Amino acid sequence: MTTTLEHKAPVIKHEGGGLARHQNFLTAMIGGIAGAFIAWAIAHHLLDQNVRTTSDAVAVLTGCGWIVGFWFGIGALNAPFAWLVGKDQTRKDQLYYAGEDQGTKRYWKYCTDHKVVGVQYIVMTMVLLGAGGILAMAIRTELIVPGNHFVNQQVYNGFIAVHGMLMILALIVAVAGPWGNFVVPIMCGAKDMAFPRLNALSLWTLVAAAGLLLTTLAVGSLTMGWVVLAPITDQAGVGMDFFALAILVFTVSTTVAGVNTICTVFTMRTKGMTLERLPIMVWGAIIAAALGLYAFPYFSLVEALQILDRTFSTSFFVGTGGGTGWLQANLFWLMGHPEVYVILIPAVAALFEISAVMARKPVFSYRTAIAGMVGLAGLSILVWAHHMFTTGWAPTLGGPFMVTTELISIPTGLFFLVLIGTLWRGNIWMKLPTVWMFGFIANFIIAGITGIYLSDIPIDNQLHGTMFVTAHFHYVFVGSVLFGAIAALAFWYPKVTGRFLDEKLGRIAFWLAFIGVQVTFMSMFVSGLRGMPRRYSSYSFIFEHTNFITTIGAYMIMAGMLVLGGAVIYCWNHGEPSGSNPWHANSLEWLVSTPPPLENFDVLPVITEDPYNFGKELVRS
Amino acid sequence: MSIDTHSHHDAHADGGHHEPPEVVDGRQRMSIWLFIGGDALTLAALVFTYLYLRGVNTSGHWMSMLGYPGPQLPGGHSWAFYDANVFNGSNPAAPTTIVTGPLSSGLNWLGTVVTAISAGLIWSAERALRVAKNKSAFTMLAALGTIVAFVAILISFHQLSLIPQIYSIHNDSAVMAFTAYGSSMMIIIGAAIVHLMLLVFLGLGLTLRSARGAINVENWYQSRLVRMFWVWVAISAVATSALTTTINTIH
Amino acid sequence: MTSSNENKKSLKSFYVLWAILTVFGVVVSLYAPGYLMPKSMSSSMHLSILTMVVFSVSAAPVAAGVYAATLYIMRNWAHKGDGVPAAAPAIRESAKTVVTWTLTSVILTVFLLIWGLGALAVDNSGASSNPLVVNVTGQQWVWSFQYAGPNGTKVESNDLYLPEGREVVFHITSLDVTHGFWLPQMGVQVDANEGTFTEIHTTPNKLGTFDVRCTQFCGLNHAFMVTQGHVLTPSAFTTWLNAQPARS
Repeated sequence: MTTTLEHKAPVIKHEGGGLARHQNFLTAMIGGIAGAFIAWAIAHHLLDQNVRTTSDAVAVLTGCGWIVGFWFGIGALNAPFAWLVGKDQTRKDQLYYAGEDQGTKRYWKYCTDHKVVGVQYIVMTMVLLGAGGILAMAIRTELIVPGNHFVNQQVYNGFIAVHGMLMILALIVAVAGPWGNFVVPIMCGAKDMAFPRLNALSLWTLVAAAGLLLTTLAVGSLTMGWVVLAPITDQAGVGMDFFALAILVFTVSTTVAGVNTICTVFTMRTKGMTLERLPIMVWGAIIAAALGLYAFPYFSLVEALQILDRTFSTSFFVGTGGGTGWLQANLFWLMGHPEVYVILIPAVAALFEISAVMARKPVFSYRTAIAGMVGLAGLSILVWAHHMFTTGWAPTLGGPFMVTTELISIPTGLFFLVLIGTLWRGNIWMKLPTVWMFGFIANFIIAGITGIYLSDIPIDNQLHGTMFVTAHFHYVFVGSVLFGAIAALAFWYPKVTGRFLDEKLGRIAFWLAFIGVQVTFMSMFVSGLRGMPRRYSSYSFIFEHTNFITTIGAYMIMAGMLVLGGAVIYCWNHGEPSGSNPWHANSLEWLVSTPPPLENFDVLPVITEDPYNFGKELVRS
Repeated sequence: MSIDTHSHHDAHADGGHHEPPEVVDGRQRMSIWLFIGGDALTLAALVFTYLYLRGVNTSGHWMSMLGYPGPQLPGGHSWAFYDANVFNGSNPAAPTTIVTGPLSSGLNWLGTVVTAISAGLIWSAERALRVAKNKSAFTMLAALGTIVAFVAILISFHQLSLIPQIYSIHNDSAVMAFTAYGSSMMIIIGAAIVHLMLLVFLGLGLTLRSARGAINVENWYQSRLVRMFWVWVAISAVATSALTTTINTIH
Repeated sequence: MTSSNENKKSLKSFYVLWAILTVFGVVVSLYAPGYLMPKSMSSSMHLSILTMVVFSVSAAPVAAGVYAATLYIMRNWAHKGDGVPAAAPAIRESAKTVVTWTLTSVILTVFLLIWGLGALAVDNSGASSNPLVVNVTGQQWVWSFQYAGPNGTKVESNDLYLPEGREVVFHITSLDVTHGFWLPQMGVQVDANEGTFTEIHTTPNKLGTFDVRCTQFCGLNHAFMVTQGHVLTPSAFTTWLNAQPARS
């Protein structure tokens, strides 16, 4: 990623940096591959090949070798070992790590500047979405007509799992990654995140985990849906070990990122930036981070137990050894439902922010907005068993979980109240972010209402495990979260690049994606209502027409995403220049230059009111 | 947002990298509390796992399993990868239900007490530095705490080796397996080992840094952060021992 | 400061739009579930479809309101021209709106909950004194059904045969991975788990054939783990049962 608006730095000879001067993405890849190879060779030769679990143990150790080698190669381990031997980094070292005067090279390095990390997250999100999108196209092409054999059935089944997990990872970081890093610290009036090195660690750990996850496609055998619940995992090959390890490592990344975000907001705000004056986006970032801290320990544990079952012959999820698959289902969904809101809340908060700026009005009922997000986060930890209504686990708990689940519609309704209330009587600037925001509103109401059906057990007994569920959560993730994430991208893109995301291309992408979503997932609802189960590689002729329509719609979405991706890449260097505050907004990220300087502020600002008083003269130094 | 940029040229103005140590310390303490919170949730999930498996006692297999007893190895050690075929030769003809007892409470508490002692040593090391301003006492106590934590690791590994294995039937061959109880103990002790290894790293760091002068009586903040986490590990060790030594058998 | 009267518009067109969209939504809600879902062959399926209708009708005004508001906003308050829009009235709070909105959503939610819990109670009740017990076994990738045959024998079938008008209790298990036992025309499903039994019950009330599908991903041939079910008259069912080869 390059930008012509980069500070053109004179070539100066630097001190500081040490080993990090030689470390970048390339050395990380070399380190990872070397680490994996060394670990594989040792494990392969030392472990007894006659034992059932050995191939899994070798796979796990190889994966660990990859992670450690990658960390070593990128420079993540430099500081911990420097600390261990008492050689702390100097200010010059810190500036080197922050990427001072390294131009575009710093985007390939273990860079501690939160803005560089933000850009790295943008790229990472696009790579993950792209990979997941290609798999989605393969899946839909396989399903275009009954009995199609576009991909081998076993391969198809593997695509289902990896598509699911790649997209989940991509959306977990889609808003919180780029904008939680790039803009949230500036919004608070901070010079960087609280722990810049941990920030780089979370990004590069995600890269390492994603690499491991993509490898599962090559080693195969991950044919069990993204939830990978026992006992079918017992039939999976070594891809399952890579998968479990990738998730375990990913939870480290999100935990570290969550702690960092919370500490930044609570301890790094500038003078006068009270909690009531925080831009609403910041609230979304910390609520989602806190919810992630609650949810992801379950995810690490469930994958750790999975690995132990596979490598040490423990019996956590094995019925014949005294375990039960329902333990895994419980732990997984204890994580799984909060995780949906870890994904959703940052997108919604970004839209609150965008709606206020674009309607030239304050966020309507700021406290209701916070209450809605906190309420949703709080309820989400009490609803996990609705994913298990039809598993046969504890049927008597169905009623209570149905109550908690349906209560979710109340905080969700508050989101609509805040968005519509903010837009009501506004002077709405119909630019690209606004367009995608309206798309979000239209899709999110469908996502919400179809969720209410599924929360009701008599209906769920019919629709659980069908394409109706698939269509419902795609309305949540594609129709709502992705639209919100793209609105956020269009909104903050000028701050990152100094250029607008092209309005015309962006609108073409919008209409392709918006119509595509309706075509794809409305027809998918019909498939589900008519009785087509999920995760089918083939289907009977009664589902022929709806599946054909779904596939056409999916191609439309992909076309839209390709146009958008092209626009993002093209406009980075060739878009229309935007100036530093194109939306005439008042929050701090718009009041610093574009791109913001290394430590954001030469002099920390003092805040006297919230950022939503439009039409007042801005006081700028 | 109106901003007054002219009245704020105080000592803090240089931001993130030149803040006074108390400010940085407050921030780091918050992060440690958050990490402890996340770790506590993991512990809660572990306790849930333990109690859930014991509660459901699937097919009566919490502490028993259909299979053959594991081989007796010199010194009672049996924790390793084995070739199941080696053992196959001497099986009884039909598998029987093997009942395994709980692990020794004494050994469990020994590991916990040793962990607690190491936490106590780090606690007094930190006090020696912060209150008594005695740097050499700090170095010595930190080194001692680290060594004691290392001993706790050894005890934990010994405990792991004592978890009884059973050769169960899988695809017509006898393979090593652990009961639900054995499995739960494996993850609980394994998690303790991971934490203790982190403590040894941190303790070693404190010792080396103090010896090299990177920690001194004015600059005691890091030692308090390490102590916070160390004490938490000791508390979680006490909690898991209390759980696994009192609630283990099925009545 | 800007006057709070700015940007006020007549709400008439909003209400008209809302009403039209609501009527449209209600009409769709009344007919779509029955038209799109498999034809009902049991009281539980009937209840599922009815609940779909009730929920859709209740949701119609909400969705219509959101769409009407969005369209109304885009029509009335979209800024025209190239310049930066002027500041709009700074409406920060409206306790009345927040309270009305929240109360409305609470009332709607409570209504849906009462309906849902009631429907659940109906679904769970009505265990008749003489149900037909069918043992269902899933394995990769076939279903098999066991009945108690005449004289204490066992009858096994790969098609599911049920008598009309008599409650059926399914005891479901799996020999390998988890499968999902689903009867789309009966509106019931539950997982088949290895090593444990799950239970569902339903009362077929129409003669004809129905489908048995697997709703839990179960490996290579998950999509082909389907079989046929038949609802027969009680006498035809007895005839069928007696004609089957008995297994001990």
